Amino acid sequence: MNEVYVAGRGLASALGADLAQAVEALRGGGVPTVDFETAPGETTPFFAIVPSDEDWSTRARRLVRAAAAESGALQARDGTLFVASTSFDMGRREHGDAFALDIQEYSERLGEWLEWRGPILTVCTACTSAVNALLSASALLRAGDASDALVLGIELSNQYTVGGFRSMQLLSPTQAQPFGAARNGLVLGEAVAALHLSNRPARWRLCGGANVVDASDPAGAVSSAVATMCRQALTRSALMASDIDLVKLQAAGSPHNDVTELAGLRLAFERLPALVSLKGWFGHTLGAAGAAEIALLLACIEAGVWPAPDYPLDRTLEASLACSAPPRLRHVLASILGFGGGHAAVVLEDTAASR
Amino acid sequence: MTAWRTLAHHNAAVPDDWRERLIARLPERPRRIGLWAELALHGARSCLDAAGEDTLPPGALLCVASLRGPVEATRAAMAERATRGSPMPFTFLQSQPSQMLAALCQHLHWGGDARFVLSRDTQALLRLVQLECGPAGLLLGRVDEGAVPHSEWWRMVPGAAA
Repeated sequence: MNEVYVAGRGLASALGADLAQAVEALRGGGVPTVDFETAPGETTPFFAIVPSDEDWSTRARRLVRAAAAESGALQARDGTLFVASTSFDMGRREHGDAFALDIQEYSERLGEWLEWRGPILTVCTACTSAVNALLSASALLRAGDASDALVLGIELSNQYTVGGFRSMQLLSPTQAQPFGAARNGLVLGEAVAALHLSNRPARWRLCGGANVVDASDPAGAVSSAVATMCRQALTRSALMASDIDLVKLQAAGSPHNDVTELAGLRLAFERLPALVSLKGWFGHTLGAAGAAEIALLLACIEAGVWPAPDYPLDRTLEASLACSAPPRLRHVLASILGFGGGHAAVVLEDTAASR
Repeated sequence: MTAWRTLAHHNAAVPDDWRERLIARLPERPRRIGLWAELALHGARSCLDAAGEDTLPPGALLCVASLRGPVEATRAAMAERATRGSPMPFTFLQSQPSQMLAALCQHLHWGGDARFVLSRDTQALLRLVQLECGPAGLLLGRVDEGAVPHSEWWRMVPGAAA
């Protein structure tokens, strides 16, 4: 079986037009949310990519091309393209032409924007979409069916998604505070994230991962499923729990889900590794979140910038988010939990870290 | 290359009374999961029945494909958003493909690796899920609403036919 590496990455988000801008924004203390109007006179905080005068499709095309180019994947257009999203082109549909295209046609349109020549697949498993796309891309590369793949997570502004989360009363009226003492819900955000996977050796190796659907709670996480996800991801990565130095959490600031996730990690890890959450910095980017958060985290680690929380943490959790990078940082378990009982994780190895 | 054996293939013909048959077959009536998820459940349940399996074994991979997804629920949710500002919670959930996976897991009394993956190329999709699953095999479905509902499923395991 072939090894799989993260050969490149790109990200457009509320933190900036690319990863360099995002890391600088984190170094400077982050960016503010904007007021997203969900109904006349009603707004909710939202992490938006800098708005423009372009129509929805023109803006999407520009962002997709930029993120893919930043990842370096445009040098490997014969590879497989995985599109990961929950809302697809809903922002365009809201302005007419609602159901002209099927879902796959939208992914194929993204492929046209990138002049992509290889196969195109679409993964839609709610918030776990991009992590599941990484698992599928990795399977193709390991088997030798492809030598390059691009996982493109895309989640752009639309009334439908924000309205849906609002009606489910999952949104914070103030700010996202993962593991925070005053956490009161999610803040959604936009992102276009690109992870270029390749068989060619690079600094970050994708060791393995797992996806577990547990329908006990179709709208939230289940602690036993979190534990199963971790154990399966470790087994498939040929690692022990003690090998994991950092867990990138799902933690989005939900009063209940943050607790459930932590309880699951305690079942899987005798001693909790260092923990980090990124959703307080650029929101929950839904189907793009797995790719967006991995891209940002790896860029932060390489740049020596740490996304430490700047709000009071919940002491009753008896676990804290790391205020600095752990002294040993070789293996990272990156997880995303989502609607539909999805629990997905990948394990990454920093091959530049000392053994 | 691994050989694969098809334990059952449930073809796309959906009988007029498929909903009544589904309710009669399941120990619990599916509630508020939406037309598309019910259609998926009908096909998945029928395919497993044809394979002589009460549920999927642990370690199997469940994969559903569709070109349009839960289009009726999406239309309804968009209409609700237009009239009342936000879609109703259950309509919004029914418009999310991941909720169909949860419904399948719940009513098949199974938990594990379940995905919603799209490709126009069924062979490419089949090759991908075969790469990703273990010895317990896979359950793959193609489900689409429409004037002629479509719910075609395959239960496959690695290994040559006996």
